[in-house]
Amino acid sequence: MIADSLIVEKGVSAGDAWVSVAPDSIHTALSGLRDDGFRLLVFLTCVDHLADSSKPTWPGRYELVYQLRNMETREQIRVRTFLDGDPPRIDSVHDLFPPANWDERETYDMFGVVFTNHPDLTRILMPDDWVGHPLRRDYPVGGEVVEFSEEHEVWQTPPPRA
Amino acid sequence: MGVEALAESLGQNVLTTTLGKLIGWGRGNSVWPLQFGLACCAIEMIHTATAGVDIARFGSEAMRASPRQADMMIVSGRVSQKMAPILRTIYDQMPEPKWVISMGACASTGGVFNNYALLQGVDKIVPVDVYIPGCPPRPEDLLNALMILQERIKAQGITPRQ
Amino acid sequence: MADATAEGMTDTGTIGQGVTVSRTGEQGAFGGELLTINFGPHHPSTHGVLRLIVDLDGEQVRRLKPVIGYLHTGIEKQAEALRWQQVVVVTDRHDYLSPPFNNLSYALAVEKLLGVDVPPRADALRVIMCELTRISSHLVWLGTSGIELGASTMLMYCFRERDTILDMNEEISGFRMHTSFIRPGGVLADATPRFLDMLDRFCNAMPANIDEYEALLTMNPIFRSRTIGIGRLPAEDAKVLGATGPMLRGSGVAWDLRKSMPYSGYENYDFEIATSDLSDCYGRYLVRIKEMRESVKILRQALDRLPDGPVNIDDRKVLPPPREELETSMEAVIHHFKLFTEGYTVPVGDAYAAVESGRGENGCYVVSDGTHKPRRVKFRAASFVNLQPLERMALNHMVADMVAIIGTADTVLGDVDR
Repeated sequence: MIADSLIVEKGVSAGDAWVSVAPDSIHTALSGLRDDGFRLLVFLTCVDHLADSSKPTWPGRYELVYQLRNMETREQIRVRTFLDGDPPRIDSVHDLFPPANWDERETYDMFGVVFTNHPDLTRILMPDDWVGHPLRRDYPVGGEVVEFSEEHEVWQTPPPRA
Repeated sequence: MGVEALAESLGQNVLTTTLGKLIGWGRGNSVWPLQFGLACCAIEMIHTATAGVDIARFGSEAMRASPRQADMMIVSGRVSQKMAPILRTIYDQMPEPKWVISMGACASTGGVFNNYALLQGVDKIVPVDVYIPGCPPRPEDLLNALMILQERIKAQGITPRQ
Repeated sequence: MADATAEGMTDTGTIGQGVTVSRTGEQGAFGGELLTINFGPHHPSTHGVLRLIVDLDGEQVRRLKPVIGYLHTGIEKQAEALRWQQVVVVTDRHDYLSPPFNNLSYALAVEKLLGVDVPPRADALRVIMCELTRISSHLVWLGTSGIELGASTMLMYCFRERDTILDMNEEISGFRMHTSFIRPGGVLADATPRFLDMLDRFCNAMPANIDEYEALLTMNPIFRSRTIGIGRLPAEDAKVLGATGPMLRGSGVAWDLRKSMPYSGYENYDFEIATSDLSDCYGRYLVRIKEMRESVKILRQALDRLPDGPVNIDDRKVLPPPREELETSMEAVIHHFKLFTEGYTVPVGDAYAAVESGRGENGCYVVSDGTHKPRRVKFRAASFVNLQPLERMALNHMVADMVAIIGTADTVLGDVDR
């Protein structure tokens, strides 16, 4: 398990247990979980909490979420960590979980999170010369403006900053 | 093209119109599509090629993989930003006369997706002859489009296309 | 690229478009250089727009790098701009061979956040649509794999059955492929008597059709020599690389979400997990054939035991009222209006739900910030993870085996690129 010293917060969300750790201890935390039997990294992703009013304050703008699963006991656990910065940086966990290789490339491509010690951190889904990180909340959805639609403001212009 | 040059030199008379009808009939009844299946519409395109619907009876027996050997490109599926230059390269590699059928809503106008990642319609980079709406269109819709195209090809004869 | 100097990135000899190739002059076993070829995105056998950059030593593959992104549709960004009920439509389209599975993973995740359970008839209909789609997805795989290895009859036979399944889809939802049938709160509509009749006839006829496919391929010497021993993925590697679905079960690991972490009432059906100890392309072929047979068994059980009752939850704040009520009740009209202009809101939180699709674990991670649009919808794509073992499977095989190996991974590029 994760040593209690590393846990910042924990809880249960819609039936799944989660723990929150500091960004510097992500490698240690996940390594501890892996030794405990959570050997499958189900997914790794990022959530951008720009202008998110569901909580009064957020510990960081970018929330990295790792979902791990223990295939023997069928347990799942979600590990979160909050990042800030431009670009936000965190350790790569590809050495612990090989599927993280491409997941981290995708998170870098879509959000701009730099994973240190990643062997090949290049864009994976967008063309290599693309500027910007599309899934960030201040990146507009793009596409064509829909005429006479009252929603075209929402689609084309960036949402207000927090 | 050789035949068009011959027609120019012969002038506008009954010889060239008969020749035009013959060539148009020949071209129209043997349109060889290029397999350009991108996404979901490609599966319906495969259905069109199979026994239940059978595009082969309309002359499109040989679905070529090489653009050098195909007359018609059926763009079936959504065209992403990364794929667009490749689509244009393939279109340029096809020899004249060539036609393009834009199959499905995504190829025609961007479809359900109005965002940064997709070309809002393949007609932004290649000239399209027939558009097929639908998401995905029925195999019979593709046959209908092929029949419309065949009418046009036969009517065109050997008049040079702009 | 400014990012090339970010810390942690090693210089791997990138040229131009960020693609890693062997340096010129690298010697192969026969004394020549390694030849880099491009299995372009436009290729008849790559099951979609997949690009592989392959370093060859003579005919043998020494290094393989998949380049993806040619079908990137921005579905996750699109979902953030749509209301909760509208997202169902775009979920259909990422793994375009299994739309109900995608819908189901999204619906289960949202229902977890809403805290609702759908009625049993809805669960049964969901299982029916999912199993029908599993069969149709395996039929596409079988047909296209067959034709890529030269067995062109397979394409015709498999798509004939798939046409029957698509007719059933059309009967129940009006769409052949992207049914959007399963949505948070229940399903689109109840099954018509004609649908149940078609399903009954399908369940009776399908086992004989699967026998027909097996008669064509299973003991066929050409098929066997092209798939036995090709594309080995040992069980430990499969588990470490995160593979799921037939990629994992074809290596002998009996992990199937329908049995291990059941959802939608799968614990009530009697079926076996298909595994094979062969760990090669032939093993995965056997696994998928067996899965089709087991799906027919599940369909027969679901059809026979279809419970009566409503097919949607009775919550007017989430699902629109029936049309007859709109004529008499003012409240129904107001609910209808609110749902179709603003949409419902989902409590704050995040949830992950996974289903076992034809390819493996297709999951949906949904984050809600309490508004009527999602904050983040992330699709855990089975094909994205299943594509990573490709290099491991193709190493030291011949170029001609590449087609068999790409086919056996059964990746759908819409799922990989989203």
